[in-house]
Amino acid sequence: MKKHFYLLVAFLGLGVGMSHAQIQKGSLLIKNATVLTVTKGNLESSDVLVQNGVITQIGKNLSAPAGVSAIDATGKYLMPGIIDAHSHVGLDVVNEASAPITAEIRMKDVVNPTEIGIYRALAGGVTVSHAMHGSANVVGGQNATLKHRWGTEDPADIIMHDAPRTIKFALGENPTRVHGRGNGIQPRSRMGVEAVIRNGFNEALQYKKAWEKYNLAKTQKGNTLTPPAYSERLQTLADILDGKIIIHCHSYRADEIYMLINVIKDFNIKKVVFQHTNEGFKVAPEIAEYTMGASVFADWWAYKMEVYYSTAYNAAILQKNGAITSINSDSAELIRHLYHEAAKTQRYGGLTDEEALAMITINPAKQLGIEDKVGSIEVGKQADLVIFEGHPLSSYAVPQMTFVDGVKYFDRKADKDDQRLSVAATEMVEPIFLRANEEAHRCMQDVDKYFEAFQGAFFVNEKH
Amino acid sequence: MLGLLVAGWLNQSAWAQSDPTGKRRVTSTYAITNATVFKAPGDPGSKATILIKDGVILGVGSSLTLPKDAKVIAGDSLFVYPGFIDGAGTMGISKPKDVERPKDFVSSTPPDEVAGITPWRMATDSYSGASTLVDDWRKAGFTLSQVIPDGGMLPGKTALVLLGEPKTNNFLKANAAIAANFRSSRGMYPATLAGVMAKFRDIYQNTALVIEHERLFASNSGVKRPQASPTQTAFMPVVQKQLPVLFTAGSELEIRRAIALQKELGFKLILTGLEDYASVIDVIKSSGTPVLIKLQVPDDKSIKSQKADGVTEATKAQYARVKESYDNALKQAAQLEKAGILFGFSTTDAKAADVQKTLKAMISNGLSEKAALAALTTNPATILGVSSMAGTLEKGKLANLVLTTDTLFKEETQIKHVIADGYVFDYEIKKKSVKAEATPAKSEAAPNGVQVEGVWEYTSETPAGSSGGEITLKRENGVLAGNITFDDPSGSGKASAPIKNASLTGKTLSFEFDVAAGGMSLTVTISGEINGKNMEGALSVPQMGSFPVKATLSSPSQAN
Repeated sequence: MKKHFYLLVAFLGLGVGMSHAQIQKGSLLIKNATVLTVTKGNLESSDVLVQNGVITQIGKNLSAPAGVSAIDATGKYLMPGIIDAHSHVGLDVVNEASAPITAEIRMKDVVNPTEIGIYRALAGGVTVSHAMHGSANVVGGQNATLKHRWGTEDPADIIMHDAPRTIKFALGENPTRVHGRGNGIQPRSRMGVEAVIRNGFNEALQYKKAWEKYNLAKTQKGNTLTPPAYSERLQTLADILDGKIIIHCHSYRADEIYMLINVIKDFNIKKVVFQHTNEGFKVAPEIAEYTMGASVFADWWAYKMEVYYSTAYNAAILQKNGAITSINSDSAELIRHLYHEAAKTQRYGGLTDEEALAMITINPAKQLGIEDKVGSIEVGKQADLVIFEGHPLSSYAVPQMTFVDGVKYFDRKADKDDQRLSVAATEMVEPIFLRANEEAHRCMQDVDKYFEAFQGAFFVNEKH
Repeated sequence: MLGLLVAGWLNQSAWAQSDPTGKRRVTSTYAITNATVFKAPGDPGSKATILIKDGVILGVGSSLTLPKDAKVIAGDSLFVYPGFIDGAGTMGISKPKDVERPKDFVSSTPPDEVAGITPWRMATDSYSGASTLVDDWRKAGFTLSQVIPDGGMLPGKTALVLLGEPKTNNFLKANAAIAANFRSSRGMYPATLAGVMAKFRDIYQNTALVIEHERLFASNSGVKRPQASPTQTAFMPVVQKQLPVLFTAGSELEIRRAIALQKELGFKLILTGLEDYASVIDVIKSSGTPVLIKLQVPDDKSIKSQKADGVTEATKAQYARVKESYDNALKQAAQLEKAGILFGFSTTDAKAADVQKTLKAMISNGLSEKAALAALTTNPATILGVSSMAGTLEKGKLANLVLTTDTLFKEETQIKHVIADGYVFDYEIKKKSVKAEATPAKSEAAPNGVQVEGVWEYTSETPAGSSGGEITLKRENGVLAGNITFDDPSGSGKASAPIKNASLTGKTLSFEFDVAAGGMSLTVTISGEINGKNMEGALSVPQMGSFPVKATLSSPSQAN
């Protein structure tokens, strides 16, 4: 699309003066669908009107304003775009694994909008993903919330600029293995992990105080106070303490989850979401009371010692205890069928359709702080929508079209064999194998090659 | 007897007196008479004489009085252009020794110089004008280069060097720019691209604070002593916008990232090493960043390996996309011209012997000859801030000239002389053998007494570490052939590949071999100078760069 635009510009001899292509917003009318609003019940044979990227009307027998095209969705289901609260799709780097705290790292710096995984996610109805730093560090980098606007080559076009800041934390075996056992520094144990977090926050408090003192002093005459060193690392931790950033914390065991809850209580932090949270069912009431909930796998465990005590009822137990609960992928493969993953909460826990769909729409939206913008079909929300053939929680569900801001980025009928955005001029065309690396989890990507000395049995099969 | 005396006298006059090497030149004044002179890009060319002395152009015109000591180069059949300028490259640069890790090394807080952060280093300290690469580039018409020191994310200060007589001081400017790369440190902070960007911001902001601290210290008493680190001291001119950052950014995303950092922090920026940039031309244009594109086009190996028969429709569709991408890559330079972006060339990773071919490929894909010449001369002069002394043929400018047998960019045109810093370098003109660059060394045993056959043991230094293997060379039917072993890129152990296009020219041995890695095939070139049983040179991998290689002839073959 963009390429054609350039051709046009070149053809017309226009000056190419704009720095960023404007983010596209579409208008359309979806007719006669079964609308699964998630927050406002189901509407049979209803229409949804989208104007300039926003849902403006929901009802029956709506007519398309001039210039707005209509899509007949008779017999089909319309649901909000699926939101994945834990993904590494569209990132050139996942782990800056070299220090126990790397809060200054910005995943927005390394977004790659041409990664094919984004298109595949769209084909699974996913319109928003939370592109996270990996779990090698106690405090990892700041994550990026992406909108899957496939077709652009500008990273700024797929970053959801109106989403709040979030950051990755990680407890347990990953950070202790990388830093303690792999590198001989703190943390070597779960106690060390807690110490790293508490020390980090205390340093951040001192940092903040030092800057406040300096900023006050520098305006005085004859000031002799010199500026403190700049540290985006500590500034970011200070921003967490000030409630400006949502923590997304990789965790498995109940004891470490409870540990972090105690830490955030001590530092008066309110915005925490637990990720993975396989033993969340043991501390579900505490998660419900003190945090923004848990984002979990439907049924995935036993890939390392700390993930053995697990159950497929985890999501349902958390949900029934009042914790905001979402189902995530952490995988370029699972992200393509999160609607199946959500359906597993019906088999294991008997959740209703609405509760199960909330696990992949409004609940992850809440955990990312974007529930006022996306996650349900409501007037005024951004038009991230998916049309399904079959109910999305059915085993026979197939996504047909996916829209972001009212622009269609996936259409099953227009799905070309080769959807890559860029192809290297020197690429040798080789046979393609069905099983590629995409199935490997990327939570610990960039770590194994980094800590070579520690490569061995531990790193071969476990990546989350 | 008289004959001998005359011969001796002639000899002396030709090689000057009291110079046992016989190499010192007789005069530093030269006149190129009645040549077709192109003073600047776009000049249609006119007959003129050029007079130079002590490395400076004294005049260009038709009514110059030639001093008696002027050595005349008859230019009647020659075409003269301004000497080419390499916007940024690594010719003549050697890799500094790895810094030893301190005993209390912690990978999360490594010392700057261990982590590749050495902005205080000078390219002048690791440059040698006697390098064969400098000879190669001079032979291709280059007379001035901005050399980048080797290293990590902030390797050091670039220098402007003249490609003149190696024994003289050729530095024009020792501190031209601060070089930067998206190159992470292996196994320590910053270990990834994300870490490098964060570290860059950190260095920038803390340098700004140290400047503020120094200002305070200078103006108020009772202020604690500022303690700028070597990194901060070297980086100050960047924060003060006195020196540009020369950022190497090959891909579209890297270009965007470097420009994003520039917008955020506000330093002066020059981009170099651009390889894929078609989709970011608007971004470059609107940021006003000058760029130095790689003086190379993608190799056509993947295009040539496409099979016409026996492949599926799906594969054909993939072929078409690679072809489209290849065609677009050739058109990029022309698009820069059309967009009105100030661009020059970078010799990094490029091969001097391919310059003509590369330029012709760009020109046949839409780049105008005028723009091509500007990218070789006036544009880099502007970008490097030396247009008052280089880039055109005018009175008062540096005596950097290229003398060719016909107009530039013509198929048969060859470079006959290059004048750099007023020193004249002569090149042999091959008759109708333009394409015979890598003629197989079909000759008798050991031409020039250079022993090449046998088993060589080599080591090379690459960013991935040191590696090595054996090169076995043998003449078969007069053609050099053999094989080479190397660390298998797809795992452990050694892999082996046949040697292709081997040639021995003088003391220079060069050959190629293919390495298969990750579904791609790369052609690696090794070229080096043989001295006795030792060879030193470079191993170059397309898109990765050149790395020093050393070899020893461990078991010479006795067959000859």
